[in-house]
Amino acid sequence: MNEQPLFKDGVVGDRMNRVDGRLKVTGAAQYSAEYQLPGLVHGFLVGSTIAKGRIKSIDTKAAERAPGVLAVITHVNSIKVPGFANRSQPDEPPTAGQPLRVFHDEKILFNDQPIAIVVADTLERARYAAGLVKTQYEADQHATNFNAHMDRAKVPAQAKKNPKSPQADHDRGQVDGYKTAPVKLEMEYVIPTEMHNPMELQSIIAHWEAPDKLTVYDKVQAVKGTQRAFAKDWGIPEQNVKVIATFVGGAFGNGLHNWPHETAAIIAAKTVNRPVKLVLTREQMFTMVGYRPYTWQRIGIGATPDGKLVGITHEATGQTSTYEDFTESTVQQTRMMYQSPNISTRYRILPLDISTPIWMRGPGEATGAFALESAMDELAHALNLDPMEFRLRNYTDTDPDNGKPWSTKYLKECYQMGAERIGWKNRQMQPGTNKQGDWLVGYGMGVGTFGANRGSAKAGARMLANGTVVLQSATTDIGPGTGTVMVQLAADALGMPPEKVRFELGNSLFPDAPSQGGSATVNTVGSAVVAACAALKEKLYQLAGSTFSAAKPADIVIKGTQLSLANNASAKVAYADLIKQNNGQEVAVVTESKPGNERQKYSMYSFSVHFVEVHVHQLTGEVRVKKMVACADAGTIVNHKTAGNQMLGGAVGGIGMALTEGAMIDDRFGRYVTKDLADYHVPVHADAPAIEVAFVDKPDLIVDPMGTKGIGEIAIIGAAPAIANAVFNATGKRIRELPITPDKLI
Amino acid sequence: MADSTPDSKPENPECGHNATRRQFLKQSSVLTALAFTPGPVVQAAAAEWDEKIAAPFEKVGLKLAVNGKNYKLSVEPRVTLLDLLREQLHLTGTKKGCDYGQCGACTVHVDGKRVNSCLALAVMQDGREITTIEGLAKGDDLHPMQEAFIKHDGFQCGYCTPGQIMSAVACIREGKADSEGEIREFMSGNICRCGAYPNIVAAIQEVKTGGQKV
Amino acid sequence: MNQFQYVRPSKPKAAIDARAKDQNSQFIAGGTNLLDLMKRGVMNPERLIDISRLPLDKLERENNTFRIGSMALNATVADDKQVLEKLPLLAQALNAGASAQLRNMATIGGNMLQRTRCPYFYDTALPCNKREPGSGCGALEGYNRMHAIFGFSDKCIAVHPSDMSVALVALDATVLVSGPKGDRRIPFGELHRLPGDMPQKDTTLEPGELITAVEVPEGPFTKNVHYLKVRERASYAFALVSVAAALQLENNIIKDARLAMGGVAHKPWRLTEAEKSLVGKPATEATFQAAAAIAMQGAKAFKHNAYKLKLGPNAIVQALKNATNVA
Repeated sequence: MNEQPLFKDGVVGDRMNRVDGRLKVTGAAQYSAEYQLPGLVHGFLVGSTIAKGRIKSIDTKAAERAPGVLAVITHVNSIKVPGFANRSQPDEPPTAGQPLRVFHDEKILFNDQPIAIVVADTLERARYAAGLVKTQYEADQHATNFNAHMDRAKVPAQAKKNPKSPQADHDRGQVDGYKTAPVKLEMEYVIPTEMHNPMELQSIIAHWEAPDKLTVYDKVQAVKGTQRAFAKDWGIPEQNVKVIATFVGGAFGNGLHNWPHETAAIIAAKTVNRPVKLVLTREQMFTMVGYRPYTWQRIGIGATPDGKLVGITHEATGQTSTYEDFTESTVQQTRMMYQSPNISTRYRILPLDISTPIWMRGPGEATGAFALESAMDELAHALNLDPMEFRLRNYTDTDPDNGKPWSTKYLKECYQMGAERIGWKNRQMQPGTNKQGDWLVGYGMGVGTFGANRGSAKAGARMLANGTVVLQSATTDIGPGTGTVMVQLAADALGMPPEKVRFELGNSLFPDAPSQGGSATVNTVGSAVVAACAALKEKLYQLAGSTFSAAKPADIVIKGTQLSLANNASAKVAYADLIKQNNGQEVAVVTESKPGNERQKYSMYSFSVHFVEVHVHQLTGEVRVKKMVACADAGTIVNHKTAGNQMLGGAVGGIGMALTEGAMIDDRFGRYVTKDLADYHVPVHADAPAIEVAFVDKPDLIVDPMGTKGIGEIAIIGAAPAIANAVFNATGKRIRELPITPDKLI
Repeated sequence: MADSTPDSKPENPECGHNATRRQFLKQSSVLTALAFTPGPVVQAAAAEWDEKIAAPFEKVGLKLAVNGKNYKLSVEPRVTLLDLLREQLHLTGTKKGCDYGQCGACTVHVDGKRVNSCLALAVMQDGREITTIEGLAKGDDLHPMQEAFIKHDGFQCGYCTPGQIMSAVACIREGKADSEGEIREFMSGNICRCGAYPNIVAAIQEVKTGGQKV
Repeated sequence: MNQFQYVRPSKPKAAIDARAKDQNSQFIAGGTNLLDLMKRGVMNPERLIDISRLPLDKLERENNTFRIGSMALNATVADDKQVLEKLPLLAQALNAGASAQLRNMATIGGNMLQRTRCPYFYDTALPCNKREPGSGCGALEGYNRMHAIFGFSDKCIAVHPSDMSVALVALDATVLVSGPKGDRRIPFGELHRLPGDMPQKDTTLEPGELITAVEVPEGPFTKNVHYLKVRERASYAFALVSVAAALQLENNIIKDARLAMGGVAHKPWRLTEAEKSLVGKPATEATFQAAAAIAMQGAKAFKHNAYKLKLGPNAIVQALKNATNVA
């Protein structure tokens, strides 16, 4: 194992400003709906008003006659998507099952399912005409009420097939061993359906440049995955599908699945033979592009009187649709977070007549952590132990789930940094005893973890004649600052100033990279970028021939358009000469970078701890988060400015999860009744307190050569239970169903 | 300005006359409103505006200054200022985040006041001065608020950013940025789902205390 | 949104005539609620009469009365120095509503005429007697967390969403109206109506009537006032419950009191009996609790809003405490 980080004395670690900052603050950054194409027309979707059944008839005449309307497409007249015929039960991530085939038949599987798209010359006309489509239904009895249909919960298909699947039932030691503990508790926890609600509405411009050549400007997190999906749908070669997602206005996971509206726009564009722009409404963001599923959990937990865990049983049932098996890792961290001889986990999914969920930031782990970290706090209270001390007594130096050593784990450092910064010593052991005026004061903490799941990716590097190096990879940047940190990594790998390095992303024609998800972009794509930079130097070295033959490729120093050696400045060559050597071509490479067999030997995770101070009003039940400290062991921090910002964002997301967010369905109609940003409350400025971020910033050189582990998910995992635990500490009231709104505290 | 939908094209005052359009307006039932309205519909007809394309009679004339540039336009009354900016003038820096005045992404200045352009009909802004994010910088020189947002990383995905910046500038001009608490309250109409709020507040405080003209 | 005709009269009289002539017309001023509703197909006027530029935006003060033009912007009034000094309760209530941007658009007249935020009213696929008389009340047995505990009917349990109106009803404001039949004055408490059998009708305004101004007497409530708004996030949200409290104190004895609630009824809810109970009593928490108990008499909850039966009185006590600095 290499003890030294790859980079010293460079820009990695610096608080460098974002490379695309100027574009973002001037309005020049172009998002999916903002490309100007000749002949562009506008689509608007019509959604069903029942949750289950069939379309009996759909009257589109008035809409067709409305001014400016070019087409009204429904299941009756839609052109057939070739892939729909053979795309049954794909049984692959992100979901198993049959993704909704838009306009394919008369079946209604959820309320507000897209049943028609109106295409018109202007947005106003498309929207108006969409209101003229009249539909008759034959409704079936729908099921949207989670609690009423708990008996329908099932083992996910993948777990049935494979008992080693992470979703399969798991027991370590004795089944329900917690029951043998001298001190034991059993609790149920509920999180409501939560909506990603990125600020950018899901948008696509679909453009058939030729009958077999499709370009989409699409709000997605996976340009290559989207390319493959649409190529398959339309039976055309992958290289004929171009997916552009240069800027993505937030996604938090909802761009990890291709949704019916995208295909609706592509069908529409083919029908009218013009580029079609489709922007969902905010209501449609609640019904058409996924959500964090309503999840019920039960925890049984027991310990010895001196605070040693005896066992944890963690059951979880998450909602899914009737047509796709959406699963997530809700119970996984319970297997590895604390030392405990007995662990039992059970994971079920409950199909309901609602659209399919999709991973939302910190996905199942954030849901699971709410139960596990609340339960740890409850048991600490029952044992009359400080909750941090209780966790430390059950700290694990190896992964208890598989016995492997951690690649790195600096969670204890996080505890220490956080406790100091929040003023943990001010926490009263007895809840409800710390008052400031009309407010009760409480402190809480919650731990989070997420796998450092490096994958494979390719990156290309090209040195332009002017000495600038351009890197490309088909990743995306939904906000974390991917482009910026890739420039930093490449600048250091090349030994060049960052101003001379450019990184391009968000285009499916670039070298293959996975989706931006699962906190794995830096360790995956960053590794590829670093490898591409090394390969570029190798190629320059070869082209330089005898000039550099006494040295190694890594010794090459690029200054402007001159190449020389670090230890021998007199050995130099003009880049123009190397271009000549290279048959007049600028020097370019494409490399692939893959993880090795380290996963066989190590358990690799990022860790975080959130500490919060809350004030709860005694009479009104309002909760104000007064201070938050977010600490993370995320390996090397490539850019403290952007990484710190991600931690802030996760903390604010945690405030929403804990205190304000929840989407409600009226089960009589199977239809959401909170479906805009006035009824579904995401945190605003006034909800966000001072938030302090602290990183351990120690490299994990087993995960990847840069030592990074991943931040996006752990930024939120553990934040909500930290707040719930602080509310308990303030009030003595344990709220096990989120969000913690004032009514639950008065 | 590339425009793909000809009949929504902003009109150029240099272009030739179009008698059909004027005739249309004069004959339209809209003129029955003449008795009690000198509204822009009628003004448009009376002024005999130059028009390149014959527009359907539902459209009405509209004069706007956007970022210091004068436009003579003809729009359907139902077109919002936001959709006019984005879809017709191709000023896409102003964002649509909700379309219902619930997120602030569409914030622009109208006669110096910050407003949600999604809930403003374009025709109702006749004669007014609009400033969008594209009009905030002076050439290559960024506005101090733009600089501060970059420095403090007051954004992640960047989608709410134009609205945050327009709102932040107004917040200081309104005198509502005297403390962190006041900034948070008076910026609460601008949602940032990425959660960059603390950095945005830091950027505003820096500009507020920096003494630069905003 | 349907296509509509747009006219912009320059005089109130012309606006009133235009409105009276056309049943399917609507006045538009700030547009912050009407356009929202039009985009969702909840309201579909065929003609919009733009009243935003009518000369009705003045803020005048004479004979100890404020006369605030209906076209004055919420932000303008909230920031007005004289309002801050003499009608601080109104300024607080205005600032508790919406966002800075919306307050720059919304007018005083428009604010009081906001439609309910009931989700059933907003979704044309769901039943709502207010939007479509006879279709049923979706909230009655549905998701009624935000709904009324006072004055509802079996036809409608929606609440009026304005904060400003809660302060105005507490301050004994009067609405000035011009209509086809001439001018009239409406005590603020009589502007909004209870739903009864006609929930589609929010107010007592006659067809074609235009609110031209609101008059607010200065009164003695310049110091011990508080507008408390309890909501599900710290700002930019509609009230679960709000309270406008104004007291006149002399040596800590309450000489006069005004109290009203928002988020509890189809209209801003004045609490006259509770006010009476306060007068002559010392400004103590016990006094406030007694008043809050009186205020809640007759309240009745539904499946999801029972919390208001407790939050309501708590909020009243807290608003009075804040108004008087009683710890």
